[in-house]
Amino acid sequence: MTTPLLPPLKPIPIKERLSVLFIEKGHLDVLDGAFVVVDKTGVRTHVPIGGVACLMLEPGTRVSHAAASLAARVGTLLVWVGEAGVRLYSSGQPGGARADRLLYQAQLALDPGLRLKVVRKMYAVRFGEEPPARRSVEQLRGIEGARVREMYKRLAAKYNVNWKARNYDTSDWNKGDLPNRCLSAATACLYGVTEAAVLAAGYAPAVGFIHTGKPLSFVYDIADIYKFETVVSVAFGIAAKKPYNPEQAVRLGCRDIFRKSRLLERIIPDIEVILAAGEVTPPEPPEDAQPPAIPNPESLGDAGHRT
Amino acid sequence: MLVIVLENAPPRLRGRLAIWLLEIRAGVYVGNYSAKVRDHIWCQVEKGIENGNAVMAWKTNNEAGFDFVTLGTNRRIPLELDGTKLVSFLPVADNGEVL
Repeated sequence: MTTPLLPPLKPIPIKERLSVLFIEKGHLDVLDGAFVVVDKTGVRTHVPIGGVACLMLEPGTRVSHAAASLAARVGTLLVWVGEAGVRLYSSGQPGGARADRLLYQAQLALDPGLRLKVVRKMYAVRFGEEPPARRSVEQLRGIEGARVREMYKRLAAKYNVNWKARNYDTSDWNKGDLPNRCLSAATACLYGVTEAAVLAAGYAPAVGFIHTGKPLSFVYDIADIYKFETVVSVAFGIAAKKPYNPEQAVRLGCRDIFRKSRLLERIIPDIEVILAAGEVTPPEPPEDAQPPAIPNPESLGDAGHRT
Repeated sequence: MLVIVLENAPPRLRGRLAIWLLEIRAGVYVGNYSAKVRDHIWCQVEKGIENGNAVMAWKTNNEAGFDFVTLGTNRRIPLELDGTKLVSFLPVADNGEVL
């Protein structure tokens, strides 16, 4: 008799996962098929990798090949972050498991008319009202910038925080003032989960509409929709209290606000609504397209998850 | 939903828990009670566990959707990571002693 094998691993939907987990130090490995963090003394901590949207790896972590492969199999994004969430490097589940989504996104981004429609929808969803008519993307960006500065000021006043301007130095973390540092740590959490959702939905993080020319342009576009509603309030609320460990307080606050605002359930449907504003249907496969020789297996995960 | 798992517990505590909970496997108790009743039951475990160890998990409104508490010594130690609870597993020395 052959030994019974376990069924193959599959990703589960992003909306059913924990948002972010930070791993501070230790060796990430696979033991008995489980994802573990082993510390210097041999203590191992199991990480429910398949139930997390993205794992943030801080300085002091080492990742084995088996661990990275397991993370990809369950569709979990690994993000290498620097001190308090300043991103160093990111990897994990590569985007683009489905070309139809990528082509749709590219079609919308390449056509100036369609792109403007999408940008207008982004602002409409974000501010809850239609942006003024007959404005270019450039003009809309200017209107948004002014509005964002105003919102920072208003929220800073609400939480009694001394606010000058948004500024941060990626090369010197300690240069920023406390509200800016809290804000950087909080936005890092938001970008992590947003990137995981963008990839899971099957879109390319680099193909942005408002933001362009960065590896995560589309992630910034989408994250901006939720930024003020979620992480800015958290960051200012924590900066006002001046806690002993602000970065950790920010993470706890972010976790709470992500749950309260049901962020993980909203991101993927919202992306679909925004792209639908282009009023074009996703492209049909070309007539000469051949179906895959081996049909794709059924998956519980989102469209961009590879199985 | 409430689950209690006992290891090395005296029979009187096992009998006591069976008053409110269903013992679905040796030392594994399940039930569905309010926070108040849960504390009341856990109080019985605290009084009666002696040299054994116990863990109680229940459904709650945090991001993970559940929480748990432990009692007594075990190789598995709860670990709090920025508001999420994980479990660390202690290694064993060659002579079988937990390090």
